[in-house]
This record gives sequence, C-alpha cells and structure tokens, in this order.
Amino acid sequence: MVSMAMRQTPLTCSGHTRPVVDLAFSGITPYGYFLISACKDGKPMLRQGDTGDWIGTFLGHKGAVWGATLNKEATKAATAAADFTAKVWDAVTGDEVLTLAHKHIVKSVNFTEDSNYLLTGGNDKVLRIYDLSKPEAEPQEIAGHTSAIKKALWCNNDQQILSAADDKTIRLWDKNTKEAVKTLSFDASVSSMEYIPDGEILVITYGKTVAFHNAQSLDLIKSVDAPASIHSASLHPEKDFFVAGGDDFKLYKYDYTTKEELESYKGHFGPVHCVRFSPDGELYASGSEDGTLRLWQTAVGKTYGLWKCVLPEELSSENSEALYCPPAEIKA
Amino acid sequence: MKTPVSVLRLPRGPDPNSRGFDPSSPRFLALCPTSVPSSSSSSSDEEEQRLRAELRERFLRTLLLMTGKRVRFDMHEHVRVHARFGASDIDVLNLQVSDLETPLGVQREALLRCQDVIACSFEV
Repeated sequence: MVSMAMRQTPLTCSGHTRPVVDLAFSGITPYGYFLISACKDGKPMLRQGDTGDWIGTFLGHKGAVWGATLNKEATKAATAAADFTAKVWDAVTGDEVLTLAHKHIVKSVNFTEDSNYLLTGGNDKVLRIYDLSKPEAEPQEIAGHTSAIKKALWCNNDQQILSAADDKTIRLWDKNTKEAVKTLSFDASVSSMEYIPDGEILVITYGKTVAFHNAQSLDLIKSVDAPASIHSASLHPEKDFFVAGGDDFKLYKYDYTTKEELESYKGHFGPVHCVRFSPDGELYASGSEDGTLRLWQTAVGKTYGLWKCVLPEELSSENSEALYCPPAEIKA
Repeated sequence: MKTPVSVLRLPRGPDPNSRGFDPSSPRFLALCPTSVPSSSSSSSDEEEQRLRAELRERFLRTLLLMTGKRVRFDMHEHVRVHARFGASDIDVLNLQVSDLETPLGVQREALLRCQDVIACSFEV
C-alpha cells in the first residue's frame, strides 16, 4: 500500500441555525453509535455517529439547549436548557419522556451507567440527582458551589460526582454523603471537562491549557498549552492522541505521550465550543459558534464512514463517479 | 500539495418537513413495541386512546376548516394579529399565513411559529 500524505476532509453536518454548544456520543450499540448536539436554537439533534446523518430533532424546549447527553445504549437522551428545565427523551422515537423543572438555567445533564439516574447542574449552583424510575419524587440535592455549575459528571462507578463551576473550582463529591471529597481551584474558569473511566483520567480545559488529572485523587498528570484559548478537549480512547478546539476556530491534534502538536485544522467559521472523540476513536466531532458540527478523521485517509481511501489511479477511473472530491480550498 | 481525502457523499441533513426518527428504520422496528393494542391492555387505556384519537381528529378538522379564512391569532407578549390561514406543517410547528396584519403593515406572506401562538379564533 503506497503511503501518501492526505489532506483532512472534514464532514460538515448542517441543520442547526445557532451556535452548537455541546455534543456527546453514545456507546457502541448494535446499530452503530450516535451523536447528540445541543444548540442555542433550542432544537437538539440526534445523528448517526459515524456518518453524521441526521436521524431526528428533539422538539419541546423553549430556550437555548446548553447540554445534551445520550445513555450508553442510545435509547435515552437528556438535555439541559435555558427554559429552566432538563428533559429526558426516548432516543428511538424522539418523544419527550420527562420534563424536570429547575429554578434557573440548566447547563449539564449526565446519565449513570445503568441509565437509572440523571445528574443535573446549572445556574442555581445546585447539583441534583433524579431517580428516573420515580420521576415525581424530589431529587437529591448537593449544594456547595458558589457560582453557576457548568458541567457535572458521574465518576468512580457512579459513586462520585465531578462538577466544574464558574467559581473556578472543580469538586469531587460523594453521592451518598453529599460531601465534597476534594476541591481543585484554578485561576481561570474551567471551560470544559471530560471523564475517561478507563484509566480514571479527567480532561480539563481552562485558558489556553489542556490539563489531565487523575479522576480519583485530582492530582495533575500533565498539561499542555495551546496557541489559543481552548474551549474543549477530548482524549482518544487508546490515549495516544488528544484534540482541542477554541477561540481561533481551529482543531488541534496532539500526541498525548509526548505533548507534541501533530496537526491543526481549519474549517469552522467560528470558535469551537465542544469536541469529542467517537467511542471507537476513529473520528472526532466538533461543534462551533458557526452552527455546524464537523466530523474529523483520526487517521486521515483511512476508509471509514463516509471517507473513502482512494488510490491515485482510481481517482481518474470510471469508478470515481460515485466519489465526491472536495474542491481545492480558496484562500481568502 | 496534499490530495484531499475523498468522501462518498455529504452527511444527510434534517428533513424540513418532519422531526425525523423514521419509524421504518431497523432500530425503531427492533426497539419499539408495535402499535397493535394487546389483549392485556386495560379498558381505561383503550378509552383514553379513543378520546385522544377523537380530540386529534377534531383538531385536524378545525385546521382544515380554518383554511382560507381570516383568523385572529392571540400570541405571547399580548400580541394579537389577523391573517388568512393557509396551512400548518406536518408537526404543527409553523403556520403559513397570508396578509398578516401587523403594527408595521400588512405582510403578504408569513410563517407564524406555533410555540408563540396561544389561541386562534375565526368565524365558521
């Protein structure tokens, strides 16, 4: 096989009409894996994860959707919105299953592994745990943050909770005692957080920094500074790469072991708000202020999803009719 | 000069006429119970379903009756406008109207967002 330097062709998923602020992948299911996007237009969308094909739009929120998540099996979705509600959806039919009223804008939602509990966090500074089998029951509440919560995640086999807030702290809570077990303080607001259960790694971004912490001790493992302010980062499942995106509209790819910047990609027309690797690590998705999601290959040129590895001879043959070759970039 | 990676096609975008979640997709068919009522469903469920179906039919017939008529739309923020009703989309998200009378003048063609509409009334 002739090795040839290929140029990354991102796949653009259109449909949203306002900035895409959050995205999440499901696990790998018998029907592939799925991707949900949260958008300020209030209409979160479900897409097939490996192609970006639109599957459906969850209709019901009356305000910007700030957070969205899928359970592992992609049978349930949850969304957090500016209309002061979190909603749970049937991710197969698109039907709204539950509306959970809050006292302020909800920013983050996260299912436990068994999909039985939903964690929410938002501008009222309180973490809430809803038992989805008893939706009318009052949620358990965990208070402590002194500013709006940006992200809340289950960790340590759903026994603990990690939360990041505008009070520039990340706190680790015990879900039973509801006490803060550990607190990390920063000089700047944390822009994003990703929890990797396999290996217990927490990926945090703040300012221009991408930092990797031990998810149990919260000790720093390593950190890397990017050329621009970073809004989100994601670690590859095999922990060989990580990707990051932020204010300069670009996606950066780094070697996790050496911290070396490997590649940077232009494509978005606005700041990148969220980026996540797919569960199989073959691609990563980014959401931007420009209202689009883009899918990027981890191994550029590999045949996967809609990307096709084409040898030079094939490009000029009859078989190339079915292929779409992106036009050469016009540099403004 | 690097060759760009080829793609088979672009990702499919949303269908403008529906919210998606195709009921004929393999995943839907495998994971959703069939809509044929089972013999074990309680009679109160059946009664509720019958009433829902009746209400839905009345709603759809009202929309049909509204077509071409001058309708008064009461909307949020104390907005009240008149327009000739054309049609609704399949998910009743938008209403197509003509000659919408607004404080800024008459809009020849317009779309009203259903989530903004509280009530509509018209002469039968």
